[in-house]
Amino acid sequence: MSELHAPSMAMLQTVADDPVTYANNWKTAHQRPVVGSFPMNFPVELVHAAGALPVIIQESRTPITEGRSLLAEFYCGYTRSVADQAAIGELDVFDAFAAADHCVQLLGAVDAIRYTRPEKPVHFAQFTSAMDDAWTKPRVDGRIAELRSQIETVTGTAVETDTLSASIKAFNRNRQLLRHFYELRRSGRARITASEMQLLVKSSMVMDIDQHTAALQTILAELPVHDEAPDDVVRLHISGHFCHAPRPEILDVIEESGAIVVDDDLYTGFRYISTDVPESQDPLAALSSWYLERNVKAPCPTRVTSEVDWDTYLLDSIAASGASGVLVLMAKFCEPHMLYYPELRKALESHGIPSLLIETEHEGIPVEKLRTQMETFVERIRRHVTTVAV
Amino acid sequence: MQTELFQKDKTNKLSSTRVGGKMTADYWENIFTAKERGKHVVWYNGAAMNPLFQAAGLEWCHGEAFAARLAAQHLEEPAQAAGAEYGYIGELCSYARTHLGCAVLTQQSRTESETGVVGLLDQKELAAKLPAPDFFVNGYAGCSTGQQWDAMTYRVFDRKLPVFNVSLPMLWGNKPDAGYMRGEEWVEVSDYAEGQLRELITFLEHQTGRPFDWDVLSESMSFIKRASELRLEAMQLCTHAPTPATYWDWVASIAPINFLPGNQALVDYFAGVKAEIEQRLRDGVSAVKDERYRVYFDGIMNWNKLGFLTRKFAEYDVSVVAGRYTHESFWQEPQLIDVDNPLRGMAQHYLLCPLNHGLKNLQELLLRRLDEYAIDGIAFHSTRTCRAMTNPQTMLAKTAERERGVKSFFFEGDVADASFYNDELFDSRLEAMLEAIDVQRTKSLV
Repeated sequence: MSELHAPSMAMLQTVADDPVTYANNWKTAHQRPVVGSFPMNFPVELVHAAGALPVIIQESRTPITEGRSLLAEFYCGYTRSVADQAAIGELDVFDAFAAADHCVQLLGAVDAIRYTRPEKPVHFAQFTSAMDDAWTKPRVDGRIAELRSQIETVTGTAVETDTLSASIKAFNRNRQLLRHFYELRRSGRARITASEMQLLVKSSMVMDIDQHTAALQTILAELPVHDEAPDDVVRLHISGHFCHAPRPEILDVIEESGAIVVDDDLYTGFRYISTDVPESQDPLAALSSWYLERNVKAPCPTRVTSEVDWDTYLLDSIAASGASGVLVLMAKFCEPHMLYYPELRKALESHGIPSLLIETEHEGIPVEKLRTQMETFVERIRRHVTTVAV
Repeated sequence: MQTELFQKDKTNKLSSTRVGGKMTADYWENIFTAKERGKHVVWYNGAAMNPLFQAAGLEWCHGEAFAARLAAQHLEEPAQAAGAEYGYIGELCSYARTHLGCAVLTQQSRTESETGVVGLLDQKELAAKLPAPDFFVNGYAGCSTGQQWDAMTYRVFDRKLPVFNVSLPMLWGNKPDAGYMRGEEWVEVSDYAEGQLRELITFLEHQTGRPFDWDVLSESMSFIKRASELRLEAMQLCTHAPTPATYWDWVASIAPINFLPGNQALVDYFAGVKAEIEQRLRDGVSAVKDERYRVYFDGIMNWNKLGFLTRKFAEYDVSVVAGRYTHESFWQEPQLIDVDNPLRGMAQHYLLCPLNHGLKNLQELLLRRLDEYAIDGIAFHSTRTCRAMTNPQTMLAKTAERERGVKSFFFEGDVADASFYNDELFDSRLEAMLEAIDVQRTKSLV
């Protein structure tokens, strides 16, 4: 039984399940453009400051049909779904598209949009992924300036400094609220399931940010906070799954198996909301600072750095949340994750933390098989209560 | 009873490329002893930065090149097994997986030599023979995996060795004036890439403790420029039908132009290749016995199947005359190189990697090659673990059909993992394309 304010959650669910319809309605109501962007580091504040609706394109549950003739079957579910949505016209509501992340599969999907919808502006503001070099920030500054100019052209609205500062504040407020939900979940005193948390974050990616913040405030005001955390459950951290949200049914099986999720580093989760844009700097410069800072706050294997690493971050997160196991969710064919996984596994094994790797696919995975794996995993953890010494 | 794979060998490969094979084998044998000779070793991936290493007095190991070599010799299994045991999943780029497996083996052997504990590692296994790196340099265009791969190699070696990244932006085509080697974006990214090469030289000086030798760089690049010109002139001769040399000969010539030292031997090699092709034209000798179809190859090479595919296509009277991998790479625009000040031209070549273009540029390049080589059909190698190459393929196929009426077929395989190749599908799809070409020809006679 959910403890989160039902009417607000139902509204968020409607939006998250069908962001295209929401965008259509928003466009009709506001008579302003809608701009589609892509994971994982796009500065949506720029779009918002131009009076347009920023929407991070989501994976659709629609079976992939026409997209199969654009991208091969050995691409991740997200990119194949994006290509398919473009091919069947599901993305026609968007007036323009913009990407900042250099992922080879993502760029294949974005090029498929250019191919199928040649009339739509598609801008790639490539944010350098090598984070340690002195020339990275100036380069990203330049890309952000160029992106601003493109957004101004597409929307017909100048992005003013004051407006951008206000947009930054609005998104920071939203992220702070979401992080508060995370703190409550970590404490164990608020019952927020993994699929509910995902819904809170995912809906923030696709809807008007002020409307979303208002919904979060209502949910928070109505949220019962208990005196004690339950002590008879296995506490899990969910790790991985970049770019798109794992299916809610997968998350539900985890908690039906006798575990609760206390933390995550999912993209449609803590990774998305980990970092605020500095409010004390020039707002454009602040966006590139945010980009660099995000990778320090929640290190990402799609970026390259010697300064921080995901495994240390993961171990620190586990120590902070008291999780006694890690469920690694990997989108099948996700190369950054495949590359980094052995390092994570090594780190977890060396600290005696049980982990389980599950690969997800756009077409879904057999839930009963997953249930057996999860129940076994939870039982394994119960038998091997780990003292995490990081 | 074993059935014969091929009824008849209809190939006639160039003999001059054997010299390149010998040069490449000698190069690797030399690399294997780098540590004994007290040399600094750099491991690098992506762009052909070897002239910079040559001028810095280093020995260099190109990760993809070594993975390709292992696969071509069918010796990739120990490295891939070591990678799999370490945790790399089989759907990961098989170049990366193979090379990371080599890193695991090299690191294990280094640990064993330091501790005196002798494990099961057999030093005779080629995969384990790479000398441990002193540092890493990455300059990977187009493929995001390429940069992350070296970030992981750094971790396999316990995060102790320096890494330098040259970040090469995609030639995406955001602006209306963008195109192949033109437009504002091209100039802007050329500046950015050149600036990073200057930073790299400072890094190399710091790592080696020696000043960088600009004269050696100029000399090396003058040899490379001349070798490239000879290579392109020889390729141009293959627009002749029947073709005197095929894509497979150019594949056999990749190693020399991609990572061997810039010297007179490199120039002599391509002069030899060109001379043999010229002689063939004079003698009326073709590369495929009965050329009836001229095919373009799009995709990265399937190194496990190099000889096999050479014979397979020829058996169908197909001359594979050109390809994206061979013809849009490897110092292919030598006019960009100013030997007295080579950095900008080098940076521009790194940007011109065939993985580093948006669809618009690739369409332009493909149509140009279809016309230049009078192509009848395209073989798309749908490279299972190389998304950078496969990204535009279906859209390129549609473009070729729409703009030139050129048919194509797709076959599955991989760069360095033989398990993804499917022979039955290959045959039926190639036959279907050739039949479609025959029908086209018949119609054009009516």
